[in-house]
Amino acid sequence: MTPPRLPFLRQPLRLIHDRIATGLITAGGIGVLLAILAIGVFLIWETLPLLAFGDAFSLSTLSPLAWGTLKAALAAMLFATPIALGAAMYSALFMSTRLRSRVKPILELMEAIPGVVVGFIAGLLLAPWVERHLASTLLVIVWLPLSAALAGGLWYLANARLRQWLPLSWAGVWLMPWLAIMVTLALWLSPLMEQAWFGGDLRRLLDQQYGLDYATRNALIVGIAMGFAVIPSIYSLAEDALADVPASLMEGAQALGASRWQALWKVALPTAGPGVFSAVMIGAGRAVGETMIVLMASGNTALFSASPFEGLRSLSASIAIELPEASPGGLTYHLLIFAALSLFIFTFLVNTLAEVVRQRLRRRYQRLGGKL
Amino acid sequence: MRWSFRPSRISAMGSLLWPWLCAASVALSLLMLATLLTLLATRGLGHFWPAALEEATLHSGETVIGQPVRETPLPNTAGIERLYFTGNRDIDGASWRWVALDDIDTVAVPDDLIRLERSPWGDFIGRLEAVESEGQHFEDDAAWAFVARALTLPDSQRPNAQLQLTAANGHTITQPLSGVTLFQAPNAMSWGQKVVVWSERIWQFLSEGPRAANTGGGVWPAIFGTVLMVILMSVIVTPFGVLAAIYLNEIAHQNRLTRLVRIGVRNLAGVPSIVYGVFGLGVFVYGIGGSIDSWFFEDALPSPTFGTGGLLWASLTLALLTLPVVIVATEEGLARIPDAQREGAVALGATRLEMLTRVVLPMATPAMLTGVILAVARAAGEVAPLMLVGVAKLAPQMPVDGEFPYLHLERKFMHLGYHLFDTAFHGEDVQAAIPLVFATALLLVLIVLVLNLTAIFLRHYLRRQRGNEC
Repeated sequence: MTPPRLPFLRQPLRLIHDRIATGLITAGGIGVLLAILAIGVFLIWETLPLLAFGDAFSLSTLSPLAWGTLKAALAAMLFATPIALGAAMYSALFMSTRLRSRVKPILELMEAIPGVVVGFIAGLLLAPWVERHLASTLLVIVWLPLSAALAGGLWYLANARLRQWLPLSWAGVWLMPWLAIMVTLALWLSPLMEQAWFGGDLRRLLDQQYGLDYATRNALIVGIAMGFAVIPSIYSLAEDALADVPASLMEGAQALGASRWQALWKVALPTAGPGVFSAVMIGAGRAVGETMIVLMASGNTALFSASPFEGLRSLSASIAIELPEASPGGLTYHLLIFAALSLFIFTFLVNTLAEVVRQRLRRRYQRLGGKL
Repeated sequence: MRWSFRPSRISAMGSLLWPWLCAASVALSLLMLATLLTLLATRGLGHFWPAALEEATLHSGETVIGQPVRETPLPNTAGIERLYFTGNRDIDGASWRWVALDDIDTVAVPDDLIRLERSPWGDFIGRLEAVESEGQHFEDDAAWAFVARALTLPDSQRPNAQLQLTAANGHTITQPLSGVTLFQAPNAMSWGQKVVVWSERIWQFLSEGPRAANTGGGVWPAIFGTVLMVILMSVIVTPFGVLAAIYLNEIAHQNRLTRLVRIGVRNLAGVPSIVYGVFGLGVFVYGIGGSIDSWFFEDALPSPTFGTGGLLWASLTLALLTLPVVIVATEEGLARIPDAQREGAVALGATRLEMLTRVVLPMATPAMLTGVILAVARAAGEVAPLMLVGVAKLAPQMPVDGEFPYLHLERKFMHLGYHLFDTAFHGEDVQAAIPLVFATALLLVLIVLVLNLTAIFLRHYLRRQRGNEC
């Protein structure tokens, strides 16, 4: 905000100082903003020479990479979106306030874990483990939601004392040991099931029956690892949107006889829909640009394949691998800069869309009399 | 009541069970986070624990001496095999040995087994036979006492001695004492001694440079490089970020353009870090660095001085990368300050500069600090852009030394995150390097988490102290 223009002062030195400082701040501020703008300008400028290469340049060299990027991002979103949105809905509307004030910062701290650490765990531990226990992994992925539903079913059957002792509002914590036990159970049972259903080796079966190759580092691994990395960003934004739904709306719905879940599904979600959508968009933007996890967990083979068990190579990983060796001014150099430009434009558009949607939502909440 | 299929029943059941699925996603996320952290902590810290050495006698009469690492089922037949770390790369040609459990006759844990860390050739596992030192010959207890005493002395005062060692297969080698960095007999140690050795080895890890192609030694140069780069970066990013935020929030006219700029700045925080790396390489390294070389370092060309990745370019690139974080955080702080404060200052006759420096900025300090700490946390964990602008696998020289101008901005440096990536994926003996990689990962995660927690607590504390205003 601009302070009102001052009347004439008798201390010209102070005024001069003020003028100089304002000028410097303006110059510095505009300079910084221009420097940021320069990123886009540089990328476009360095892409232009591609036109001069004419025939030597064709987009087909980049298309497997673009496909790999999309495949990795899709796998990550398939893993992350249900978990992140479920967690957001639960912690915004069901969780006890005391627990929420602890759990939310912890989940947001997850975002701070460096990609290189996640990628290392995924590439060197998870990938060989999954290769040896493919059937168990798939079983666990199916079994986890079922076991959660089972916990719910058992809870409704349990007597009132136990239900009071283990309330739904704290379920986010006390389900942890339950899930751990269930995972152990699934891991213990899965060799038997693999024996019974898939003749002892699911990987061989996939290879012989469906002709699916299995690469150690593949889209499934990338999906899990990168999903883990984008869960917190989606969760945090979606949770904010859901928690800021004006309380009067939810109370109104419940007063009309809706259950808590119905109020959430029919009232809170449609109201906060744009916010949830923008959270997912921002997550997708992050998944598309993430470099280290894809680099370490994907095997970096440029393939056109939709199979979740085959490797991939993304735009960002190619840039990281090839650009340091590319000679400046050469075709590869400009091509990789073009790849960077497309990443830049994509994430910028996605984020702008998400931001605009979020600002709309904020105005809507204000109209509805929310606290914002 | 007869159970019949009715959609309303399904939806009623769904509305009872859905909350549980949502609760389970919270539990699952927490579980994954906890598993990751426990894994890092146990594997990272466990590596330094002096593990027991086993002497296994096989049915064939062969003996294997080593540290048991893990057991897995045999690939094609029934049974389990165990992986031993046997060291002795110079004698056996490999440091690992898989042994099927069925082949093992007896397993013993004798007290006289020793483990040496030496350069070259890495670990030795076996027995100490005798020590030859300047004509003297020691055996048994005297030899042990001699080695233990000699290793407490600083490198320069150590006697010139030769250790005679026997490996599991009876092969005898002579090892000069000067190449030995660690001598321990883990089976003979008491629990207290093990704790002491454990903490000593952690200290070594933190304070020494890497050895044996990153499979041994420590990460001190990488810690130093990371910290130095981050400090340089925050020195660059703080003034510029704050300046831009003040301009946007206090000086620029609030109109459609500033709103657009604000959205743009916010979005830049979501642009992939590798794009910043590309910008850094193209503009800083090839553009500015290349020009500096052709103006000032012409005699060194064609080998580049500033025209290649280095500390300065890495810090600048990361400063650009974290600029949005600082700008957004500072702006939030500035926006929280009530206009009444500014109007009050101006009404008392302050100029805009005085109002900013005496009223607005002190109130916005917590927000700025938070922004800078968050920026530092992000920069410390970022690896992708550094791969393009100046990180090195093994930097021959530290970027700070006693030579004028003391701080060498053009030198390459080591970085914890890149060190982790490189050791884990491009190392010669990845299997041997993995424990150290875990330790490095744990260190990196700890640094980043501690920085983030500091930011959270600082914000919380200062907000409460200042009555929830900024």
